[in-house]
Amino acid sequence: MKKIANDEAAVVIIGSGAGGGTLAYELTAAGIPCVVLEAGPFLKSEDYHNNEWEAFKQMAWLDARTTSGSWRVAKDFPGLPAWIVKAVGGSTTHWSGATPRFKDYEFKTKTTYGDVPGASLLDWPITLADLEPYYDRAEIAMGSTHRHGRPALPANNNYKVFANGAERVGYKLYATGPYATNAEPYDGRPASIQDGFNFQGDKNKSKWSTLVREIPRALETGLLDLRPDSHVVRITHGADGKADAVLYVDKEGNLHRQAARVVCVAGNSIESARLLLLSDSNRFPKGLANSSDQVGRNYMRHMTGSVYARFDKPVRMFRGETMAGIIADEAGNDPARGFVGGYYMETLSLGPSFLASFVEPGAWGPDFTEIMEAYANTAGMWIVGEDMPQATNRITLSDTARDQWGLAAANVHFDDHANDVAMRDYAYDHAQKLYDAVGAVASHRTPPYPSTHNLGTCRMSERPEDGVCDKWGRAHDVSNLFISDGSVMTTGGAANPTLTIVALAIRQADHLAAKLKAGEL
Amino acid sequence: MTTKRDAFALDPGKDEASRRLLAKVVRTAFPHKTFPDAVYQRSADAVLAAASGTPAQKLGFAAALHELAQSGFGGLNDEAAALAHLKSIENTPFFAFTRATALVALYDDPEVWALLGYEGPSFDKGGYINRGFNDLDWLPEVRIEEYEAGK
Repeated sequence: MKKIANDEAAVVIIGSGAGGGTLAYELTAAGIPCVVLEAGPFLKSEDYHNNEWEAFKQMAWLDARTTSGSWRVAKDFPGLPAWIVKAVGGSTTHWSGATPRFKDYEFKTKTTYGDVPGASLLDWPITLADLEPYYDRAEIAMGSTHRHGRPALPANNNYKVFANGAERVGYKLYATGPYATNAEPYDGRPASIQDGFNFQGDKNKSKWSTLVREIPRALETGLLDLRPDSHVVRITHGADGKADAVLYVDKEGNLHRQAARVVCVAGNSIESARLLLLSDSNRFPKGLANSSDQVGRNYMRHMTGSVYARFDKPVRMFRGETMAGIIADEAGNDPARGFVGGYYMETLSLGPSFLASFVEPGAWGPDFTEIMEAYANTAGMWIVGEDMPQATNRITLSDTARDQWGLAAANVHFDDHANDVAMRDYAYDHAQKLYDAVGAVASHRTPPYPSTHNLGTCRMSERPEDGVCDKWGRAHDVSNLFISDGSVMTTGGAANPTLTIVALAIRQADHLAAKLKAGEL
Repeated sequence: MTTKRDAFALDPGKDEASRRLLAKVVRTAFPHKTFPDAVYQRSADAVLAAASGTPAQKLGFAAALHELAQSGFGGLNDEAAALAHLKSIENTPFFAFTRATALVALYDDPEVWALLGYEGPSFDKGGYINRGFNDLDWLPEVRIEEYEAGK
């Protein structure tokens, strides 16, 4: 592996997930050496556990965090606002794989929805047309089924219930994808063996992640200096206001400095915002790149919920690809439903260990055990839709809580917007109707899990005062500082965000490579 | 029996009566008729192990368990009465801790998985590609491709 000297002003990427891992591959492939600083360990596919709690303890980001606000997660899981990964590959190692694209109007929701009270809607500074070529490249890289000649995954048991229900209630836009897991061998990786373990890391490597594709290929170029267990705690700047180094802590707690020519922040929305807030200085008293006071604001987590339905016959939802089932009929904007924006329905399965903890947090007694008792006969789906950005939903630094390094922990404040609540109620109702149509004995409305889709907090904006970065992800305030993850999303759309994060990162890499080669950075 | 019931167990994890009493709490909170006593006892033992932190934690837990013993909960043979008793202490730290800890242990137990029809780790068995990932036969086969007219 390449060794880049700590005093050599390098292209430094913070994080190795969908954004950082993709950027590292695209830049090294273009001949540009990079340092990648990853807070977590270098877990490999063979290290993963086919066990929900063991995997969670191995992979999840469990550093101290706090919550506030009226969202239910703050009550059920006050110290765990998000379920994301701290390891090389980031949260691409535990994502399920659904890859819908954003729709055209989802880049211009302020224009489309008009004034929504309490929402800080803003049109993106880019359009779907800008992103389409990069969506193509991302889908090809990730091997999305149903796209670019990639075949569909077969129907598993959970999908059979889901799709039959869809058909019976009149939905048409159902399929087993698009889903970035191989139905047949592709890109040097094998076909899915339908082992049912996705959130726990895929031991079979059929699922795309930056761990199995971008990181190893970037290492093969000989231009990547990958440093796991390297938790960035501050970005510093010179007298000219440009970022000049990043400071990070190794697993023994020793501080290191890496000089930087360009810094790309891709720590997932909570940590990216926290890092900028931790990097305050006399020049940037509210945090780096935060003259707009927008860093940390407009945190979005998608409107989510789940419905688990039980039948009088076996389903065995745990057999097979977890989320290889998508219904898009409700994904458009139809305000006649009582809310703006749309949502997807997607198959979902949990094992008994996680279902017990998440199906109705806090519940016990016979009503609860009735749900668990029916485990083998249960089908499940997730609902995931656009939530409204709100300036007050934000990441701040805790006054009291500290992480293992003694640094202020992130507090995640979130209140559901009335539009989120209306959409969730409607989606629950329609999910239950779908299962009723195929003979459900009963079904349960499961509240949101800790956030897996963490978006916003450093949003792109045309005008510097409205956001944190421009249409390339470049910080409005700091010309060599880029944001390279889902925190740049101006609004969240309904689609699972990973495909869009990858597409944006490929686009940003092209831009960065051109600027670097032209000597403009 | 009466004297035993009133004895304060400083280390309930090593006291048979306390262990059985807590197992009854777990069974009452998470009643599954087909589950053997052993799985409830394992879950209760996990709670006892987790409750052995600082002296203050140990004391608080042991005192709550002692009160539960004194209340006669152990002798309640009627399920509804036992459930009602737990409802009455639902908001105590003792019950909240026991519920949360027992839940994780109980449903993370491979014997419980088998009782519920969950098959556990699958990668080492080749996944389910040849072991029934699509064996549901009580609904028609269904389209996997996207809707043509929707493209």
